[in-house]
Amino acid sequence: MPDLHMVVCVKVVPKSEEIRVDPETMHLIREGVRSEINPPDMNALEMALDLKDRHGGRVSLLSMGPPPFETYLQAALAMGADHVYLLSDRAFAGADTLATTYTLAQGIRKLGDVDIVFCGEESADGATGQVPSGLAEWLNVGQLTLLTNIEMDLKRGVARGHRELKGGYEILEVPLPVVVSVTTACNEPRFMDYRIKPWAFEAGRVTVWTAGDLDADENHIGFNGSPTVVSSLAEAPSRERKKQFLEGSPAEIAQLLLNVFREDLPQ
Amino acid sequence: MTVSLYNPGEEQKSILVFLEHEGGVLANVSLELLGKGREMADGLHWSLAGLLMGHQVADLAHEAIAYGADEVWLGEHPLLQFFTIEAYAHTAFQAVSDGKPSVFLLGATPNGRDLAGRLAVRLRTGLNADCSGLRIDPDSGVLVSEVSGFGGGVLALIEMRTHRPQMATVRPGVFTPSEMDRNKNGKVIEIPLVLEEDMIQTQVVEREVGSGIDLTRTPVLVAGGRGIEGDFLMLQKLADLLGGDVGATRPPVDEGHIERQRQIGQTGVVCSPEVAICCGISGAFHFVVGIEKANTVIAINSDPEAPIFDYADYCIVGDVHQIIPEIITALRSEGEIAHA
Amino acid sequence: MRIIKGNNLEVSPLEDEDLNAVRSSHIVLDDELWDRIIELTDGAAALCYQCGVCTASCPWGEVKKEPLSVRTFIRRAQLGLADGNESLWLCTACAQCEAYCPRGVNISDVFRGLRTIAWERRSVERGLPSMLWSLYWNGNPWSQPPSQRSLWAKNLDIPIFNPQHHEILLYIGCTSSYDHRAQKIAQSLASLLLAAGVQFGILGDEEPCCGEAVLSVGNKPYFKEVVRETLQVFQEKGVHKLVTISPHCFDVFQNHYPRVGGRDVILPIHYTQYLAQLVDEGRLNFSSTVRPNEKTNPSNEPIIDDTGEPNVIKITYQDPCFLGRHNSEYEAPRRLLEALPGVEIVEMEHSKVDGLCCGGGGGRMWLETFPGERFSDIRVVEASQSGASILATACPFCLVCLEDSVKGARLEDMQVLDVAEIAAMAL
Repeated sequence: MPDLHMVVCVKVVPKSEEIRVDPETMHLIREGVRSEINPPDMNALEMALDLKDRHGGRVSLLSMGPPPFETYLQAALAMGADHVYLLSDRAFAGADTLATTYTLAQGIRKLGDVDIVFCGEESADGATGQVPSGLAEWLNVGQLTLLTNIEMDLKRGVARGHRELKGGYEILEVPLPVVVSVTTACNEPRFMDYRIKPWAFEAGRVTVWTAGDLDADENHIGFNGSPTVVSSLAEAPSRERKKQFLEGSPAEIAQLLLNVFREDLPQ
Repeated sequence: MTVSLYNPGEEQKSILVFLEHEGGVLANVSLELLGKGREMADGLHWSLAGLLMGHQVADLAHEAIAYGADEVWLGEHPLLQFFTIEAYAHTAFQAVSDGKPSVFLLGATPNGRDLAGRLAVRLRTGLNADCSGLRIDPDSGVLVSEVSGFGGGVLALIEMRTHRPQMATVRPGVFTPSEMDRNKNGKVIEIPLVLEEDMIQTQVVEREVGSGIDLTRTPVLVAGGRGIEGDFLMLQKLADLLGGDVGATRPPVDEGHIERQRQIGQTGVVCSPEVAICCGISGAFHFVVGIEKANTVIAINSDPEAPIFDYADYCIVGDVHQIIPEIITALRSEGEIAHA
Repeated sequence: MRIIKGNNLEVSPLEDEDLNAVRSSHIVLDDELWDRIIELTDGAAALCYQCGVCTASCPWGEVKKEPLSVRTFIRRAQLGLADGNESLWLCTACAQCEAYCPRGVNISDVFRGLRTIAWERRSVERGLPSMLWSLYWNGNPWSQPPSQRSLWAKNLDIPIFNPQHHEILLYIGCTSSYDHRAQKIAQSLASLLLAAGVQFGILGDEEPCCGEAVLSVGNKPYFKEVVRETLQVFQEKGVHKLVTISPHCFDVFQNHYPRVGGRDVILPIHYTQYLAQLVDEGRLNFSSTVRPNEKTNPSNEPIIDDTGEPNVIKITYQDPCFLGRHNSEYEAPRRLLEALPGVEIVEMEHSKVDGLCCGGGGGRMWLETFPGERFSDIRVVEASQSGASILATACPFCLVCLEDSVKGARLEDMQVLDVAEIAAMAL
């Protein structure tokens, strides 16, 4: 079979600790907030690059967002990917999971002959974890989720995934093409290769595609394509540690802790 | 505007819950969703249905009824014995298209998430993932979901007004199951199924449940340092009672009290449990980076000046060898009361 | 291509088609790689005549059965061999070998050069890529939020650096910004500077990383990038004279930042040097007796012995490698300690140029050192044998490593403190 073509979906997210909500407008304050590539997506990219090291082929990065995201994606390109595509259009704004998965699927269709689509387990901002299987549905292909490892049987054209389950595992086989989601922190993303970096950071290295380029149905993108609306947004109560000293006899302290467990733990 | 397969005008006033099971037992998260579903349905005079798929699982249907379901929609087929996304999505899609529930709830488990993501797209509807709270507006019948993002830093309320079903996933432990009532009546409705082997692409090659150490995902971390003087058996008892696992700082690992895979911190594992209990740990920075993502941190140390208290929500100055056995006793007696 | 047959150093040219057959049975020399090693190490290895003093003086020999063969590494560098070897990551860049090398080889730099090649070949120790990514996304190697960098100074009211008003920039560094233990050094130092009436400021959350962690693990190209960005921040903020807490920051500013137009862009000073200078100038005065151990002496009153004289407290000083051997500063911290009332300095068996490394340099702070192999375990025993009750140091890495070992060895009468913390007690 021809060279493997792998696509890694990558999201640029503001760093969680830095995010604030404007109480008046109920919008996220993004100014001055440092961003990064969604850490689980880095694990997905590492898995793809590792497959490329073993089997050859090429790795394309696919992302959605405004043009300033380019420099973040270029860092991922400098890890050893071959191409980067940024889906960027005002019409994509306000997308929820349904519209996002549609838009990414259109991007993948435009790339053509894709064998494996890699996604991180979830995004640090929305944390829905629903993009991989939604994407697989739009593309009408199989899926392997929560993998910690992947092996290829290129002769048979199947991917064999090692999947983590609660206190156990599963080994699943799915014919290509397939959408894969990768367990967070299952590998260590390589650092940028500085022999590649100057190339990766050249101007124009990122291919930007608009809604028109994707031949996207305007009913399915952005606000229009999003069934859900956010009716209120607020900062969660302070995330600083309480540093509350519990006092009493060991038995009394044990009772106080039982209350803590009741509040904070799954039953 | 995108249009869902059926709209609010066509919906049935009902809440559907995806019933997960493993080894002939309904998953806790499914019972919890039945509990929450029951509560919301009662307030609105809606009905509560369970969606049960599997092979030879009819017994579980009665269990679901006892936990609050008015109806169980049963997809019974040999090809549903193990979860495969193709067979389960096909069956669930058929059930939902036929029954047209207003609300469809799933556990935010690996399989629940996979199924939810597929179905939302197939049904062209919205999906509120990992909700920490649910409420149905009595006038509009709109489901209002509370979700958090950015590592819990931001809370949002999300709703969908024009699309059905209103899908949501909920993590285990958010809601409480209702009391079981063996005398409760309910209907079991079989889903007419046409499933063929060739519809299923996914092949399960190997499967093992219950093995391996994975501290990154444990809901409760009980970590021990120098101060526990090697008594990890005590910590293991506590962890077992709380459904968690045991970790350690570097010194006990060095001294051979516990395996190195359980070392937490900069050169070990970074955890994100709901609760981390730090026992006899002074709180060196190298360790602390491994528990910073915990929702709640409890620290027990005999030294009131120990830096660990700067990183804890609940601080206990005292002897771990006295306090932990008390917690174990208290948990056990609570468990006995619950089972009585 | 050249080849070496077996252990014989006879070199012969090689035909292309035989290459694969030869690879399996011979060591293959790669001219290109050879050139690259020469380039990355500035030819440092060429000076070596293989006497082996480096291997003999390497502290790994104290803790491992097989010493780290520093000589072999240099030989490999001379020959253009750089295949992966996990021992490459053991070097703590303590420079003990350099102190005795009769040819003056910059051995730390040879190791950094070999590590640079290891990055290119992706044969680096687990944990190190994550450390670099942390620096890339967070601006610090400790995976900490950039917005919390100046949290250590929350209640101290230290102004943001302004070149119009301030004599110096107090450069905190990543470890003292985030590590709660090391934050106490920063807090103590700030109180000393305030007491001496020094006009100083900090850069707050905008303080950039010096890049030492990157250099120490040998990612030279990324280091260059960090240097460029950090110097740009310094330039924008009008920074010239800066006082560092960590000798690692000091060394990298002093010896690895570029000099432009024959003039230093920045003028780094280690805080022990700066405080000693303040003492000399009469700006910094100490009036209290040092009584550190609050647990054994909660009233903080001088302990009076049988003769009615207050006891002096015995302090021994750990020379941080990057202040001592790398920058030949042995005297300033000792002068500072001597200026404190009620303090007597005692030396350990090995000190100054022979002072044993804590084990935290060369990027080892981000790698696990297994029990029985930690230099600091040996060091705290030496400290204890010196009769001192305080083990002083002037480096956050030393502080963390030594304190860990003191706890491990259960030396309950020994306290590890930074020189700044001790000095602040004497204000």
